[in-house]
Amino acid sequence: MSTMTAGPAESTLAAADFDTLAGGLTEPEAIAGARAAAWERFTALPWPTKKSEEWRYTDLTKVGFEALTPVVPAPATAEALSADVREVLGRSGERAGVVVLREGRVAHLELEPEVARSGVVLCSIRDAADRHPELLRRALLEAQPGPAEEKLWALHLALLGGGYFLHVPRGVEMPAPIHAFHIVERAGTLSSAHSFVYGESGARAAVIDEFLSDDLAAETVSLHGATITGEGGAGIEYVALQRFGRGVKQFSTQHVAAGRDSRIVTFNVTLGGDLSRADVTSRLDGPGSDSEMLALWFGDSDQHFDHHTLQHHAAPHAHSDLLFKGALTDSGSSVFRGLIRVDKGAQLTDAYQTNRNLLLSEGSHASALPNLEIEADDVRCSHGATIGQVEDGQLFYLMSRGLTRRQAERLLVFGFFDEVLGRLPMEGVRARVREAIEEKIGL
Amino acid sequence: MSEPLLSIRGLRAKVEGEDGEILRGVDLDLERGEVHALMGPNGSGKSTLAKVIAGHPAYEVTAGEILFEGEDVLELEPDERSRAGIFLAFQYPAEIPGVSIANFLRTAVNSRLGEGEEMDVFGFQRTLTEKMEMLKMDPGFATRYVNDGFSGGEKKRNEILQMAVLRPALGVLDETDSGLDIDALKIVARGVNRLSEADEALGVLLITHYKRILNYIQPNVVHVMMAGRIAESGGASLADKLEAEGYDWLQQAAAAV
Repeated sequence: MSTMTAGPAESTLAAADFDTLAGGLTEPEAIAGARAAAWERFTALPWPTKKSEEWRYTDLTKVGFEALTPVVPAPATAEALSADVREVLGRSGERAGVVVLREGRVAHLELEPEVARSGVVLCSIRDAADRHPELLRRALLEAQPGPAEEKLWALHLALLGGGYFLHVPRGVEMPAPIHAFHIVERAGTLSSAHSFVYGESGARAAVIDEFLSDDLAAETVSLHGATITGEGGAGIEYVALQRFGRGVKQFSTQHVAAGRDSRIVTFNVTLGGDLSRADVTSRLDGPGSDSEMLALWFGDSDQHFDHHTLQHHAAPHAHSDLLFKGALTDSGSSVFRGLIRVDKGAQLTDAYQTNRNLLLSEGSHASALPNLEIEADDVRCSHGATIGQVEDGQLFYLMSRGLTRRQAERLLVFGFFDEVLGRLPMEGVRARVREAIEEKIGL
Repeated sequence: MSEPLLSIRGLRAKVEGEDGEILRGVDLDLERGEVHALMGPNGSGKSTLAKVIAGHPAYEVTAGEILFEGEDVLELEPDERSRAGIFLAFQYPAEIPGVSIANFLRTAVNSRLGEGEEMDVFGFQRTLTEKMEMLKMDPGFATRYVNDGFSGGEKKRNEILQMAVLRPALGVLDETDSGLDIDALKIVARGVNRLSEADEALGVLLITHYKRILNYIQPNVVHVMMAGRIAESGGASLADKLEAEGYDWLQQAAAAV
């Protein structure tokens, strides 16, 4: 389109060099430096194959990264809210702020004036690089994934420029969640965004990252990272609600750092896209810290959802509890691979890990690989996984009341999910998640 | 409509994949508006008959037919039988953790609506509240998970609540009286009687071990089931005789045949 001459030249990832990716933009050093270094790492590293344990069930070589068009990070704009976003917001409860991102670029950002007056900062990460370069740098360094995830992480950072930054000062309790919409519109693109959530001592915050797109005709990849940090006594609730259309593949890396006596809840809800991979790490840095890791997924047709988790107990007296539940039908498949790691000094650790899977069809398939790695000697840890089907007795009972087999199965999936939904502290967030699940499952 | 509400002819059934018939030629006619009690010793096949009427997939019908309002229902799935108007109050209702009674019943009522029909949400709520009051249920009951952690009496009341909301043409009550104390029994019996009063065509097949519930629900006919067959049918006085004399006289009569 001739009217878009100001836009940077676009090429495929295979043909891109860092200058193309930089897009001739002047960037704050905290971002530009990190991006350049990440690009070097990305080009030097090989793609992981199915030989690595981390990618055994998800074949990255089948994703056509090289042919995708990387979206060059662009400065924030201030657009009006689009109809689809307004519609979701209209059905959601109270909120403290809204962010809309299009292929990572902040297109709309608003924060309730009262919340802003309390010192809460909500801005694009470009602005954050100017205002809080040290926090940003530290958050990026902290979220360093393992070797097998490094290639994708490097790509994520190399493209980084999109995303938002939420900073809640000491003792400030946000009255309602921030609702962020990550919208992907352009088929064939590779885009990236990052959510930085930082709560100082005693702060309270809740964030929903909702990912959405139409069904896209060409393979499209969305990379996402989240860095969630809670200082002493902070309470943070983070929800990633993935309801992309078909054609989209998401790779997401979430990193939680929990300070002394903080309590952090992460909740991944995976419903959309063709392929969805989430690497979720909770590092319990401070004594008395508490991490609750929750997830729900419902996969149909040939969707593939892959979840890797790490509960890393680096401090004593900390508690972590993971509950991931998934249901699959048609030829849907899912993977859960979880590790509880307890460092030598992390005595009196209390750590739990549970993955439950419900298969509704012959063609669906779930893999569950829970694991422990414990170096301390005075700990309480347990892990378990189940893969099962709907109980015949329950199915007959529901059908004897007139529900079709499909309705009965879907109602049982709701029942199966309820335990996890009930653990979300904020009612407004819970209602939004429940609604999205109902829409996907259908009854 | 001259045909009986329920007409069972020469019904034989066994557990799927096993030998040995449990039902060995059951014949039974139940007219609209009638209450039939089905009694008999343990293992005579009463509960199996109830489950076969509802279409339980664990049982295989090897011969005979079940006509409901003149239509053969043996080829129908359990949900189709339910929507046609057959209701089974379970002896051991399933527990469904995570699904509230209100949500469950709303889905069940919805499943009865035709294409494009909208559910009257307020009407449903009103009906549910009214029926719960009738069964002396706490209003909070509707938000509890279906049968999850319920006492025996709560489970049975919940079965009758569902029957009241779904308004079937035929209610098969499988030992709804067992495990109930006298107060709970009276509440359940009154609930069933109210449903009969509200719908004069309602047919009830009341399966029971004990005469006790028949003091509160008057049967038109009493059947006795022995070894997979109806061995004897009669009026309400048959229940008195069974209570006084047990089943031995029938067993002897059956052996003599």
